[in-house]
Amino acid sequence: MLPAPFTADFVNRLEALRLRTRKEFLGSRPGSYSSPRRGTSLEFADYRRYSPGDDIRYLDWGIFARSDRLYIKLFREEVDLFVYLFIDASGSMAFPTAREKFSPACHVALALAYVVLANHDHVKLHLLREPAAAASPFYAGRHRIMDCIDFLTSASPGGALEMAPSLGDHLKRLRRPGKAILIADFLTPSPSYQRGLNLLRASNLDISVIQILSRQEIAPPFPGGGLALVDSESRAELAVQWSGELLREYHERLERHNRELKSFCHKGGIHYSLFVTDQELSAFVLETLPAIGLFK
Amino acid sequence: MEFLNPAALYALFLLPLLLIPYLIRRKPRRVVFSSLLLLRDFSSRSSGRPWGRLYLPPIFFLQLLLLLLLILALAEPVFSVRPVKIAVILDNSASMQALEDKNGGQKSRFELAQEQARDLLRDFSPQAQVDIYLTTPRLEQSGKDALPPDKASAIIGALRPYDLGEPPDSYGDELSRLAKEKSYERIFLLTDHPVRGQDRIIRVLSVGRTKDNLAITSFQIARPSFTSTQMAARVEIASFSSKEEKIRLLLKGGGKILSARALTVGSRKSVAVSLEGFPAYPAYEAEIEVNDGLALDNHRFAIAPASGGLEILGISPRPEALYSLRSIAGVSLKVISPEAYEKSRGEDHPAEIFLFSAPAFLPKKHTLFVLPPKENPLVAVGKNLSKPVIASWREPHPLTRYVNFALFRPAYARSLKPLSFGEAVIEAPEGALAVALEHQGFRYLVLGFDPFPYLGKENLPMSIFTLNLLEWFYEGLAGSSAATGEPVRLGGRSDKGFVVTPKGEKFLLEGEQNIFSHTFFQGFYEAVRGEKKELLAVNLRDVRESDLSNPAPIQLREEPAVSGSRSSFFSVWPYILLLSILLLLLEWFYNPPATQP
Repeated sequence: MLPAPFTADFVNRLEALRLRTRKEFLGSRPGSYSSPRRGTSLEFADYRRYSPGDDIRYLDWGIFARSDRLYIKLFREEVDLFVYLFIDASGSMAFPTAREKFSPACHVALALAYVVLANHDHVKLHLLREPAAAASPFYAGRHRIMDCIDFLTSASPGGALEMAPSLGDHLKRLRRPGKAILIADFLTPSPSYQRGLNLLRASNLDISVIQILSRQEIAPPFPGGGLALVDSESRAELAVQWSGELLREYHERLERHNRELKSFCHKGGIHYSLFVTDQELSAFVLETLPAIGLFK
Repeated sequence: MEFLNPAALYALFLLPLLLIPYLIRRKPRRVVFSSLLLLRDFSSRSSGRPWGRLYLPPIFFLQLLLLLLLILALAEPVFSVRPVKIAVILDNSASMQALEDKNGGQKSRFELAQEQARDLLRDFSPQAQVDIYLTTPRLEQSGKDALPPDKASAIIGALRPYDLGEPPDSYGDELSRLAKEKSYERIFLLTDHPVRGQDRIIRVLSVGRTKDNLAITSFQIARPSFTSTQMAARVEIASFSSKEEKIRLLLKGGGKILSARALTVGSRKSVAVSLEGFPAYPAYEAEIEVNDGLALDNHRFAIAPASGGLEILGISPRPEALYSLRSIAGVSLKVISPEAYEKSRGEDHPAEIFLFSAPAFLPKKHTLFVLPPKENPLVAVGKNLSKPVIASWREPHPLTRYVNFALFRPAYARSLKPLSFGEAVIEAPEGALAVALEHQGFRYLVLGFDPFPYLGKENLPMSIFTLNLLEWFYEGLAGSSAATGEPVRLGGRSDKGFVVTPKGEKFLLEGEQNIFSHTFFQGFYEAVRGEKKELLAVNLRDVRESDLSNPAPIQLREEPAVSGSRSSFFSVWPYILLLSILLLLLEWFYNPPATQP
């Protein structure tokens, strides 16, 4: 059973989408993504001098007529795609509740997984969490969306997360290049997430980033006066006198932090998008993600 | 605008206390947040605030306003639309003479009640009409006309408490009736009793705190035997104190101290002291020297028995068992039949015993009824009982003193039920077996079993009970003392005369008057008629007044409003209360409980 945001109309519209990659990967079998290898697709790639044994159906007779030389037409090979979905499952994803932040993040991941599976490609889900990192097997075929749902619903957020080491653990086990989509709140110091993203880049993956924030993180509803703020991951405490002035400053800092993340992504050729959890999932997937070039 | 409960306004002084939680809030509210990455240096900046720890958020001012409104609502503000009719009832019973510490000095509870009443009246407009009531000897208005507050204050200042116990009626019902009959807007009762329940009109203002107290609960002067010339005294002292008390008991007579004894009385215990071998005087006083709550009950007065011996008239169709009483020293007995009793009514026997019979009217003498027939003026006679088990008995009581009720097994009995008044002294599971009462200075005892014949040591429990009842009648006969508020019988019926009270007041006596009822104070009353002088002792006998540590609460019940009655007030407080609730809701919206993962 698909979760509530996945209405019949929404699923139909997901069927029409295809992920866009900015790199060519060597697939495992014929598919719809171009490969650096020459193959038998309709897309022309190059010419090559005829050698005995070549299939004469690919001879370019026009060139032979003009130059009296035999040339063979070469075409691109089209292969399937391997997509890796990395989902942040640290303690901060349970704020204000897991239902209000982690679940929407899983819904985004499921929508992306459905698009991949509907195009007969392969998807693998990775939960970024310390110490118990988890990854699913590769799923292929539309019907495997139920396995994706089972995998994500059995996960619960908790614990602290250092992005780079956690991603490193997962990347060690990756054998096939493909597309990596990282879904996280990125409420970590910029050197930390930059190291993580650089690791992905070094693994020859085409990277997209979706930042997930809850409304309460954008506008904290703290009561005025003395508060002891507790970090959901490290449990560190911070005593503050909360006021409107601090709220304004918090907004500025969050905006600066997000701008920095976006800028880093642009420089590194990474798709970036922000999803606030009280947004409509269908609007985000069908309008925002195509707009940043994640879908064809 | 007036306040029906102005004392509540003193709570305004407590408002600054609201600051305390904001000043000493050392442990701020813990709120879990996803990441403190973007909040890191906020902490150091907020501690540099010039206000220091005191941060007064807007919610503080909302709370302040809310408290202010609630206090105002408690003070019950009203707009008067016509003169206010109120009643001030002062409890003037004996316990109101108990002393309370105030401002370094001591004041009686009654004085404190007077002060409170005057403070109360000061807040009412001069157009208000005030009726003043006293609770003893019965709840009645002091004066007839309604008074303006200033005059009522003056009259309240002149009132004095009596040495009387409170009437047994329930104050709550009595006050509700008064409010309904006289259409009072508000009744203020100033008393030393705690209150239970609440009433829209009746406001009870309690004065005084619980205190330790000791009291002489019984003082009897008698001859050791009916023929002795020396006297003996028996004093019972009860402690209503939370700790053991050391006291000194003094017996005074003829202006001298006749005997003194040091005693230790345990907490909530009573002791009985017998003093013997002192000469006869017309009057005696017992006193305990102790610093306790109420001084009044540390004294008791008694008159010596007039003569030795007890003369009894026995009336019975089967008098044989009665003759055994003649074996008791000092008892002289004359026995007649019930038919002959009607003819001998004029005979002057101080005590009568009706065995298996009863007169048509209650005799004006101390009387014992043994197994009376159904047609008797005091009790309803119930079913027959064979060897009844004694389930309970009144203690302490002169009739049950020294009796071992485990061995007290009459062979035959009938249960009794008082027709109008009287207290059950001995009870079986099926009903009362002995009912005692005092009426117009006479003592009556009805027995549902036959204590005769008197067998001495052969039936010790019954013999002790028989001696107790004879002694009880003998005490009454001697007229050793009467209870305050109780009418006393005077001898000599023809001459005019006067009575001087312990306070020195003089009351004239008409020629035919043989009952004097203004016995509101404890002490000796001297009745003078021609050449004849008579001394009467009157004592506070209501032990409830002495128990200052456990006063009986006043139960109030909210009476439904009388339909069609129009209040002279336009009450503002319900609107203030409503506004307070709205503010409370606003506060809830403004500051909802923080949700935490």
